[in-house]
Amino acid sequence: MIKVENLCKRFGNLVVLNGVSFEVPEGQTLVILGRSGTGKSVLLKCIVRLLEPDAGKIFIDGKNILELSNKELNELRKEIGFLFQSSALYDSMSVRENLAFPLIRHTNFNDKEIETKVKEMLRLVGLEDAIDKMPSELSGGMRKRIGLARALILHPKIMLYDEPTTGLDPVTSKEISKLILDMQKEFKMTNIVVTHDMVVALSTADKILLLESGNFIFAGTPDELTISDIDIAQKFLSSKLD
Amino acid sequence: MNLTERVNQFFTVIGGLTAFSIRFFAEVFRPPYEISEIRKHMDELGVKTFSIVSVTGFILGLVLGMQTQPVLARFGAEMFLPGTIALSVIRELGPVLTALIFAGRVGSGIGAELGSMRVTEQIDAMEVSAVDPFRYLVVTRVIATTLMLPLLTIYVDFIALIGGYIAVIITQNLTFAYYIQLVLEAVRFSDVIPGVTKTFVFGFIVGIVGSYLGFNATKGTEGVGKASTTAVVISSLLIILFDMILVRLTLIIFPD
Repeated sequence: MIKVENLCKRFGNLVVLNGVSFEVPEGQTLVILGRSGTGKSVLLKCIVRLLEPDAGKIFIDGKNILELSNKELNELRKEIGFLFQSSALYDSMSVRENLAFPLIRHTNFNDKEIETKVKEMLRLVGLEDAIDKMPSELSGGMRKRIGLARALILHPKIMLYDEPTTGLDPVTSKEISKLILDMQKEFKMTNIVVTHDMVVALSTADKILLLESGNFIFAGTPDELTISDIDIAQKFLSSKLD
Repeated sequence: MNLTERVNQFFTVIGGLTAFSIRFFAEVFRPPYEISEIRKHMDELGVKTFSIVSVTGFILGLVLGMQTQPVLARFGAEMFLPGTIALSVIRELGPVLTALIFAGRVGSGIGAELGSMRVTEQIDAMEVSAVDPFRYLVVTRVIATTLMLPLLTIYVDFIALIGGYIAVIITQNLTFAYYIQLVLEAVRFSDVIPGVTKTFVFGFIVGIVGSYLGFNATKGTEGVGKASTTAVVISSLLIILFDMILVRLTLIIFPD
């Protein structure tokens, strides 16, 4: 489903990604774990070509996305949902308008059908009552949920999560982790979750990659990570216990 | 920042603005045309600037009348006061003053709004959801400013003429109808058209500069503030520069 080969990205003299390669089979959840500033978000943004890699290949459903035209890329992007670290809700639009935006742009639904879809997604993320609120009236956790609802409203085949629990308290973080699992059950998507939160990593991953200094230093299941003797993996695990 | 860096930064902005403008013209004629967004922005721009240009326009006409009257009186040419006010307002002061106010009010707003969208990843979110943010956010705003400024200028010209009438009746016993008649006798087609036409260029400058700086904002809230203030400075400078060029062009096209 998603295959990345020898991906390189640098900013000036700073090498962020140094030939990373991995594969995510259809319907699986890959978690990319790493400390802040190790290039996790850069990797995710390269996958949707918000950033252009310096070298390497990215295949989605067999197509190298780096060779697609703008039109082809946009067609592909309709099948990808992206939850941003900051949720990235459109400030000038209400929750209803935020969720309706992708439907208005990419479907032929009438107003009634759009309203039904919006309410259905809000029910799934447990925020039906927030439909008329503006983003500035929402808490951090609510913004993440609305961001997730908007990302999922076109029923994407691939879902990318960029630090889904950053800035949230432990209770809300657990709720978001549960929501990721619930959405996976509901929509059967292929997921990539970028995080430094071990609770999210261990509860959602089929496979975990640990990114450090531009490359992966661990690849394995959550169980394998917990018994790994890699220093950084141990530090992440102890942070979970803290 | 030393002089070399400042010069370097200035040419970077000018180069970026040129490329941004070329991209605008490449995109503007391609569907979808986002008519409802353009209309929404035009409404917002009108509401934002209506009161400030009304007050400024009225005072402009009033002060211009009060300043010009004693000068004309010295030469016994007071009857030319309505025509002098009208020509000054319509040919130069109305368009330039409205454009400068527009740059301060609207250009800074566009810079701050798009800058904020950039640093909070809203523009990235739009791009990922297969909506071209340049077309949706930039093209619509630049069209709105380009169309709205001429309308506001015509309104300001009219309000300034009313202000001018108040200045006239302080010293002369003149009916409004006769004042308007004197204005119409003085003003020609070749005075009105260039005055209004150049505001399309000024409107474009305000829209494209604000959008360019906001769209390319970096460094968080500091970047948003910088985009907003730099938008006002650069668009005001460009308005004055292009005014000089367009006045010269007008004198070549309409030599009399």
